[in-house]
Amino acid sequence: MIPRAALAGFCMGFALGAASAPALAQFRFDLNRIIDTARQIGQASTEVDEPQEVEIGKQYAAVLLGAAPLVPDPELQRYVNALGRWLAQHAERPGLAWQFGVLDSDNLNAFATPGGFVLITRGLLARMRSEAELAGVLAHEIGHVVKKHHLNAIRKGAGMQAGANILGEFVAQRGRNPEVTSRLVSGMKEVMLRGLDKDDELEADRMGVVIAARSGYDPYGLPSVLQTLSAMNPQDSGLALLFATHPVPADRLDALDAAMGTRLERYSAAARSSEEFLRVVRRK
Amino acid sequence: MKGRLLVLLFACTAGLAAAQEAGYAVRQAELKREPFSDAASAGTLPERAEVKIVSRQGGWLRIESASGAGWVRMLSIRTGSAEGAGGDSGIKQLFNVARSGSSGTVVATGVRGLDREQIANAQPNAAELSRMAQFAASQADAERFASRAGLAAQALDYLPAAQAAGDQ
Repeated sequence: MIPRAALAGFCMGFALGAASAPALAQFRFDLNRIIDTARQIGQASTEVDEPQEVEIGKQYAAVLLGAAPLVPDPELQRYVNALGRWLAQHAERPGLAWQFGVLDSDNLNAFATPGGFVLITRGLLARMRSEAELAGVLAHEIGHVVKKHHLNAIRKGAGMQAGANILGEFVAQRGRNPEVTSRLVSGMKEVMLRGLDKDDELEADRMGVVIAARSGYDPYGLPSVLQTLSAMNPQDSGLALLFATHPVPADRLDALDAAMGTRLERYSAAARSSEEFLRVVRRK
Repeated sequence: MKGRLLVLLFACTAGLAAAQEAGYAVRQAELKREPFSDAASAGTLPERAEVKIVSRQGGWLRIESASGAGWVRMLSIRTGSAEGAGGDSGIKQLFNVARSGSSGTVVATGVRGLDREQIANAQPNAAELSRMAQFAASQADAERFASRAGLAAQALDYLPAAQAAGDQ
């Protein structure tokens, strides 16, 4: 992380010993660039610890909530939290303070943010036939959190408005510098609008079906939702952002098809819907 | 006016329901009399056969087709039309039109919340974030939920990314 002093010392010695004045100016310019690059590489690889990750995730969730508020229905919000928390206990980070929410939007989409915040839209929930479908979608999002896919995506934003060093700066400033926080927020927006790596989406799909099965659900809920999306008119404005940021549903189904085969078939007779789903979700 | 709106809403919903019922086989698949792998055969669905999805149960779809009716594995079926599927035309081309949003072209959208523009312009909403925290469930809440719903936890490993399904 700190080759900076050593690098500077080495270069200084070399420069003082051998360079003419114009060459020295040029060299100083290059030196600054080298130091800057070394600093960025150092920061980009800085590990974000869990409290910092949660702080980043809160900022991220607040932006989504700024675009659409929660559905004003405490019973629905508590239901999704209980289900989501149960699912999260069957993945690798059960200790996070997981929070789930239903956004008041007709659009069809679901989001995860670092640190364990998961949001799903009212529009997507309205198309679901069963609790197993809801479990599948939430479990897919939990997969993103477990694998820290969003942090990786923010890091990879180098060269765009959001630089690779934003995470590092945010961590270094402990979120206290408003300018750094604002740059982090635009980095998050880039990821929300650009989407994650295709392979990360497919990995979250494979994790989602397994987390659902571990939690006692029929694992075919997620592919069932993908079939719903696949059957919809892709020009539907409610799908625009989802389709702009994810592989097409047919490709996701092909990948799940290949990965699942018949391996999860024995769990297919597990729970699909609860009385609570029918009462809390279906009555809407 | 209100009546007309209701009729329109109904028409949209009915249209969606009808669209969800159509699909096609991505491979030759066996039709079963019951939604189980060891159930008696009810015939064979040829590749690309068009089907109408009647109902769902776990990983199985109950379908009707020119080749007969019965239960078929969900992942042997893709929803939508077989015309133009696979290859670069048809359905996927339509998706690509929708995807052009990712290159910065704004896709025509209504005001629905959480569109590209609304996210781009969103200001962090700290009040709503605090409200979200109020609904959080504890691990004990989750256990109670699972117990009410009769959920039985299972132990299984994640699936590797597969090139091909082993036992189709």
